Amino acid sequence: MSRFRPPVRAKGEGFIVDLGADESALIRRLIGELRSLLTDPEPDEGAQALLVRLFPVTHPDDEDMEAEYQRLMRDELVQSKLSTFDIVDETLSGDGRVDEGELLAVMQSINSIRLVLGTMLGVTDEPDADEVTPGLEDSAEYHLYNYMSWLLEWCVRALTGS
Amino acid sequence: MPTTLEPTRVMEPDVDERVAEDHPWIVIVWNDPVNLMSYVTFVLQKLFGYSNEKATELMLDVHHKGKAVVANDTRERAEMHVFRLHEHGLWATMEKDGPST
Repeated sequence: MSRFRPPVRAKGEGFIVDLGADESALIRRLIGELRSLLTDPEPDEGAQALLVRLFPVTHPDDEDMEAEYQRLMRDELVQSKLSTFDIVDETLSGDGRVDEGELLAVMQSINSIRLVLGTMLGVTDEPDADEVTPGLEDSAEYHLYNYMSWLLEWCVRALTGS
Repeated sequence: MPTTLEPTRVMEPDVDERVAEDHPWIVIVWNDPVNLMSYVTFVLQKLFGYSNEKATELMLDVHHKGKAVVANDTRERAEMHVFRLHEHGLWATMEKDGPST
C-alpha cells in the first residue's frame, strides 16, 4: 500500500489531477453522459428533471424577465458547461497537469456531476429525512456521489492552498 | 458576457450597510442540500473577492437561514453575477431590492 497522496494537489507552478486510469475513465464516461444530456435537442421530461439544478431560475418573481434572461443566457450557460467538460477530457487523457483556470473548470465539472447525481438520489438535508431517497443508500450512484464530493473537496483544498 | 474561467477580482461590496440607489438589485444564494459548504465559501471568495471570513459568514447564513444576499448591483451586473454563480452550480436568483409588493 503506497502512501496516500491527495488526488488533486499543487505541483510546480500549477496543479496536478492525479487519478488512476479507472477513475479517469469513469469520470470521462460520466462527463460524456452529461454532455449528451446537455446537447440533446429534445430532452424528455426525465432528462430535464435531472438537469434542473444545473440551470436554476434567475428571476423567480417575474416570468417575462425570466423568459428574456433564458433567451439570452441559456445557450451561453450550456456552452460554458460544455467547455469545462472539454477541459476535463483533455486533463484526464493527458498527464493531469493543469493551471488554475483549468482546475477551476475541472472543479465545476465535478460539481455538475454531483448536482445531477444528487438530483437522481433525491439528496436532502432536511433534519428529519434520510439523506437520500430510502433504498438508494447502497446504490452505486450514492457511492459515486460521495466519491465526487471527496474529489471536489480536494479541488477546493488545492485551490485555497489548505 | 465573459465565460472565462480566469479568476475575477471584484472590489468587495459592502452589502450589509450600503444599498446605493444605482444598485437596486440583490443577488441571493439559496441553501441547497448538494453543494458543499467549503465549495460555496470558495466560490463566493472567487467570484466576489470576499475574504475567507466574509465568505464563510455568508455561507453559514445560506446554510442556517436558507439564503444570503451576496451582492447588490445594477440589473445588468447582477445578471452577470447570477450567471457566474450558475456556472459554478450554485442556486442563485436575483430580485429588485426593497419591500416586496
